[in-house]
Amino acid sequence: MQQIFNFLIKNRNLLLYLLLAFIGLIFTVQNHSYHRNSFIHSTGAFTGYFLEKQSSVSSYFDLDDENQLLREENAKLRMLLGDQADSLLSSSVVFYNSSKTPFEVFPARVIKNRYAYRDNFLTIDIGAQEDIKEDMGVITTNGILGVVDKVGSRYSRVISVLNSEISLNAQIKGTNTIGSLTWNGNSPYLMNLEDVPRLAKVVKGDTIITGQQSTTFPPDILIGVVKDAQLIDNGSRYKIDVQLFNDMTNVGTAYVIRNRDLEEIQEINNLEEDE
Amino acid sequence: MNNVIVHNAVRFVALLILQLFFMDQINFLGYINPMVYIFFVLLFPLENNRWGFLLLAFLLGIIMDTFQDTGGAHAVATVTLAFMRPLLLKLVYGQGYLTKNLKIIQSPLDRFLLLLLLAIVVHHVLLFALVIFNTSQILYILKLTLSIGIASYIMITILFLLFSKRKEQ
Repeated sequence: MQQIFNFLIKNRNLLLYLLLAFIGLIFTVQNHSYHRNSFIHSTGAFTGYFLEKQSSVSSYFDLDDENQLLREENAKLRMLLGDQADSLLSSSVVFYNSSKTPFEVFPARVIKNRYAYRDNFLTIDIGAQEDIKEDMGVITTNGILGVVDKVGSRYSRVISVLNSEISLNAQIKGTNTIGSLTWNGNSPYLMNLEDVPRLAKVVKGDTIITGQQSTTFPPDILIGVVKDAQLIDNGSRYKIDVQLFNDMTNVGTAYVIRNRDLEEIQEINNLEEDE
Repeated sequence: MNNVIVHNAVRFVALLILQLFFMDQINFLGYINPMVYIFFVLLFPLENNRWGFLLLAFLLGIIMDTFQDTGGAHAVATVTLAFMRPLLLKLVYGQGYLTKNLKIIQSPLDRFLLLLLLAIVVHHVLLFALVIFNTSQILYILKLTLSIGIASYIMITILFLLFSKRKEQ
């Protein structure tokens, strides 16, 4: 017994180090898996507050670009709305005609963006108070941005499309060919469209949009263009390099999308699996 | 004694603010942000208890992790650096560094640069290995370590030159 105590006292620094390193490793592993149990995240009130202050300073430098983007988007929406454009914009805007498209859009500001690592996350300045839930899609003016994965009371964390865990339903515009969109961790401007069958017609320059089967994003949101396509697995499937429309290294304004019918769709999908 | 605590507390907060508000905004070539917060680990008083030192290093790393969404990578790398510091000091300043009443901030530049090099290698390799967390990306880990390591090296050296109180020779 005495020896055990002596051992513990003698090696207390080593033991403390091993304990702390172990705790840190657990946090790291949790953060790399697509599960919502990570302890250490940037959506807390304190962290969010600091990131917000910091981004409110640095966003001044991008105001020109940001304004230009928003002006272009406004013009696009004006055209879409035509003479129905008399509705006032509130904190949540129902896109188009609510009975036709069940998607509700919340404007948000990106207060942290990172794209240098393999598993990247963004932080946005709206959270549970604004009715944000996990698994909602996030887009920008130019295309898709990611999926909400952790919601704090006033901030949320978004899994960037530049994350090795992400896999999104996408399709080639003008066809019904679908595939899953992933990121291989190299360039922040390129993603891969996988599992596209050999018989599909793939042409360089084709536009890639979000798929009809996606429950996270509305259909027909722009993603990018086909930059290169190769047949892999003995020519049975295509692997397509997609050049993103969205410049992931420079994002300011984002829109979180809520699918009104999400629960209903999930219920029906679960029925199929059960039987 | 109180003076020492105040000194270190101020350094802890100041380096964190410098890191989060300025260094993490540089984005040189898109991804190069120097890591200056490990300067705290290097400058921590030598004779103080190592329990507190390890815990502080862990806390510093965890704060960095919450801001960068890196899980526990910063925490593991920083606490490892803190744990290995006596070994690095022994390598750089010789066996009897404890008896010489050494103060890192007052030490000669060449010694400090050597210590800094070793510290950055230990910290950055571990950090980026955990951030990337994929054995097939070893080249990318090395690229990050090298490029960001050089940036950290330059920045911390500048800080050292600004704040070192070396005696005039």
